[in-house]
Amino acid sequence: MSYILEGLRQAVMLLVKWDPETYAAIRATLTVTSYSMCASLLLGIPAGFALGYFDFRGKRVLRTMVDTCLAFPTVLIGLLVYAFLSRRGPLGSLNLLFSLSAIAIGQTILALPIIMSLTATAVESLDRRLRLTLLSLGARGHKLLFTTLWEARHALLIAAITAYGRVLTEVGISMMVGGNIKWHTRTITTAIALETGKGNFGLGIALGIVLMLIALIVNLSVMSLRKKS
Amino acid sequence: MDLAYRLEGVRHCYGNRTVLCIDEQAIELNRIVGIVGHNGSGKSTLLRLLALLEHPTRGKVHYFAESKEPMFEVALLPQEPYLLRRSVFSNVSYGLEIRGCGKNEIRQRVYDALSWVGLDPEGFACRRWYALSGGEAQRVALAARLVLRPRVLLLDEPTTSVDAESGRKIREAILKARNEWGTTVIVSSHDRQWLFDVCDTIIHLFRGRVVGSGVENIVFGPWRKLEGDLWIKIFPDGQKFLCPGVPGCNAVGLIDPSDMHMFPEATGSKYKRRACCIHGTVSGLSMVRSTGDIIATVYAGGESFSAKVSGCVEQFTPGRRVILLTYPDKIRWMS
Repeated sequence: MSYILEGLRQAVMLLVKWDPETYAAIRATLTVTSYSMCASLLLGIPAGFALGYFDFRGKRVLRTMVDTCLAFPTVLIGLLVYAFLSRRGPLGSLNLLFSLSAIAIGQTILALPIIMSLTATAVESLDRRLRLTLLSLGARGHKLLFTTLWEARHALLIAAITAYGRVLTEVGISMMVGGNIKWHTRTITTAIALETGKGNFGLGIALGIVLMLIALIVNLSVMSLRKKS
Repeated sequence: MDLAYRLEGVRHCYGNRTVLCIDEQAIELNRIVGIVGHNGSGKSTLLRLLALLEHPTRGKVHYFAESKEPMFEVALLPQEPYLLRRSVFSNVSYGLEIRGCGKNEIRQRVYDALSWVGLDPEGFACRRWYALSGGEAQRVALAARLVLRPRVLLLDEPTTSVDAESGRKIREAILKARNEWGTTVIVSSHDRQWLFDVCDTIIHLFRGRVVGSGVENIVFGPWRKLEGDLWIKIFPDGQKFLCPGVPGCNAVGLIDPSDMHMFPEATGSKYKRRACCIHGTVSGLSMVRSTGDIIATVYAGGESFSAKVSGCVEQFTPGRRVILLTYPDKIRWMS
């Protein structure tokens, strides 16, 4: 018990004294999660809208595939991204392996099915009268898309929070395609895994606290957005 | 005479079921046209076709547009209007924003539209969608269409589930739209008296077909054959309606209100032996605005009938017992 308390004390010290190693991991985490969330929202929301809004051949099969991808293990995504980005892989020439970009690509693949599936569910569960109302007021094309998404905004925020929680806490992708390189691709989760293995509970607990703080700040921001809208 | 619509050989199906079957129908510009019919008669489907939101399975709906964007000329108020999850102001202004109107113009027009439907703009503009009663929500939805000053306004049962005051406000707004901007209004409703009061002409739909241009009475089967050519229909209250020449057990008869004669029950014993006669109670009187005719609504045999009042109106005030009578050759049969 005493080493846990000692770890908490160390955590406070590291954060208060602006420990560069700790803050490098925080910076790396915020960078990759921002990139991956932007990419997954940009791709996932329109794709999820199309999946939920339109009826087309093979929709059910596609939906099942997307829902199955919700359980995509992070190590498997890491393996696939590694295979593509390694020197022998089809994208090896891009030299992205063991970089923040590689982690962001992997995390985008992780978050995409979550955004798509939850967006599709949100659009499907909208009031059936909405479409007729918008059409009857003259909305077409992108106006129809944006207004429909705006009506589903609360459910979309939940989708974004869920996806963010997943990318923020994953270890497998960051470890496999980031390489856990100190000052460079070491994220909070990979640092926790490494430092705990080395017996540095202080740093591990400090990073854990930061992880929870980031999650809290994101949730508070989203709650404030919900209130405003 | 300028036309807003012309329908030619329209057939509209959902799966294998034909829900609308109109060979020829014209709708004039600047008129208020009512659509009546039972549930499932095709009223909402017809309005969606006229709103250009659906295309008929076969045939053509010609809309004689004034501009290159007909979708901006026609506004439909669905049967169960949906309010966007935002303020009343944003709900009413949504259509104007789509049309690219300026902020000052939008504000003025939204406030005007709220006034037309009897809602105080200052009090209602900032209210959220969930803070409205059913009647207020219906009026906000109507304001969202009126604000567009559409060339054609299509209203699907706008008076359903609203109180008399809201019904009156909606009526006033419809008349204002027609009188001030020459809007063609096509409105469906179950409320016959309200339609008589508002509309210039009425289209009667039955099982997807236009069966008349008024509020014909409908006598449904089942019919049972007695002797010879005489058939009988027994109403839910036990009254017997005898009629010769019924084409089949499930035949449906249409009787024009002007062919439905009405006599006070006290003086009507001589009619009792006659065929095609039924007792009932007058439940309301209304005047057809376009013709000036007075129509009595009579509750008889568990159903509602309309009969044109001729002679002394005092004999047929609501609550009076009457006998309704028609002649077999005045009944149009649909099998």
